[in-house]
Amino acid sequence: MIEDELRAAFARHETLAPATAPIRAAIERTVVRRRRRRLRLRLGGTALALVVAALVGVPAMTPDRPQQTATLLLEPVPSTPTGALNLLLLGLDGASPGGGRRADSILLVHVPADRSRLYLVSLPRDLQVPIPGVGTNKLNSSFAYGSMAGKGDLTHGYDLTRRVVTEVTGVPIDGGAVLTYSALRKLTDAVGGVPVCLPQGIKSMHTRRVFPAGCQQLDGAASVDLLRQRHGLTDAVRDRDRNAQRYAAGLLRRIGERGGLTNPAMLHTLLTQAGSGLTVETGETSLPALLSVAGKAAAAEPVAVGLPVVYAEKPFFGFQLDRATAPAFLAALGEDRLSEWTAAHPDRVTGLR
Amino acid sequence: MTYEEFADSRLSALLRYAVMLTGDPHQAQDLVQDTMVRVQLNWRRVARSDSPERYVRRMLTNQYVDWRRGSWARRVLLRGEPDEAVPAPSDHAQSAVDRDQIWSWLSRLPRRQRATLVLRYYEDLPDAEIAEILGCAVGTVRSCISRALATLRAEYVEVCS
Repeated sequence: MIEDELRAAFARHETLAPATAPIRAAIERTVVRRRRRRLRLRLGGTALALVVAALVGVPAMTPDRPQQTATLLLEPVPSTPTGALNLLLLGLDGASPGGGRRADSILLVHVPADRSRLYLVSLPRDLQVPIPGVGTNKLNSSFAYGSMAGKGDLTHGYDLTRRVVTEVTGVPIDGGAVLTYSALRKLTDAVGGVPVCLPQGIKSMHTRRVFPAGCQQLDGAASVDLLRQRHGLTDAVRDRDRNAQRYAAGLLRRIGERGGLTNPAMLHTLLTQAGSGLTVETGETSLPALLSVAGKAAAAEPVAVGLPVVYAEKPFFGFQLDRATAPAFLAALGEDRLSEWTAAHPDRVTGLR
Repeated sequence: MTYEEFADSRLSALLRYAVMLTGDPHQAQDLVQDTMVRVQLNWRRVARSDSPERYVRRMLTNQYVDWRRGSWARRVLLRGEPDEAVPAPSDHAQSAVDRDQIWSWLSRLPRRQRATLVLRYYEDLPDAEIAEILGCAVGTVRSCISRALATLRAEYVEVCS
């Protein structure tokens, strides 16, 4: 009857269904476009909030994130912190669709009480750490767990990573920043490129770029490319961390040359150019106060070291604190004696030039 | 389940379903594409439902029923380059399609009625589930189907007598 005719007609026309592969690609393209549009809208919103905060007057505003940045920059410099400071810089990996983002470059910036120089301490991303509410896992995953719990909010990822780093190193974190690939690229271009000196040549896995051994000036795209490379390096992940230290030292030098470390307005311009991929977190200290401190210390060449770790050749194949040397290092960090420690362990210091 | 896994396993079935709804591969593609873009952008919400598959089929069906005539008509007419996703029908197949009376009668039914027919006779779903997908009472589903069948029967009798 008519019902059977219908079933037959439907079955006959199954062949009309188009192939899936091109449609999937088209869906993917549209999704990327929409996401970009959403981001632009959000960026526009942030810029608007900043303008409103500036016009309406800061004290009237509730302390919301974008306005807080404005608040901090417009306030007169309050009491400058006097003790040692520790800042946390996190470089994120690329956003995988549907997955969380991990912090693959973890740099603890120690500012000693005498402000003589900055110490860049890199923590390997594969360090086995206790993550609150998760259990033992790799350090870079703490960012993913935090940001997933916060529905993709980068500040939640930063918060959880900060707690884990405090737990591991024993030092409180006074402030920090989160950088995505795009923020890194824009920031680098905003300062006019960053000088980096490499001890060995590197061939990019992701592009055709070849970074020769020796000193070179990198633009934004090249910097991102360099900081993604770990395959083919003698010491893989740890060598990449050293390159991140070299890049951070170069970036600081460039910002210093442009006057950004002593001039908050100048730094604000730089940070705005980095866009929404850069999140700055200053805790209880104000940004100008932090800058006046870090600016003084950054005038000298920074000293870069790695957290003393050993590789565990059994599951789950990550780094653990080196029982022989780590306690002394962490004690030196906590008691602000890193100058002594680095003088005693010159082999642990990364060559920056 | 991730969005990728879902798309891997369900995309072709959704495309077939969309072809039955729209009766046309190009419109089916547009319908699935529109729906899946929203699915991917809101994947967390979709994944939270009891059955992502049912959730997406409901999204797709509602999009089809609510689709404004103007919007998809323009989309089809303005398509510039040939689309590699849709096989160009050979003359023979095309003429077979042209002869397919019941298929062309289906296209004259109101969308909601057509959707009920596809859900019952192509997807073989029970009336309760059809009602859930369309967001209406089971009684409404049954009256929809009987009215659609009556229309088709009338056409059938007219041609064959």
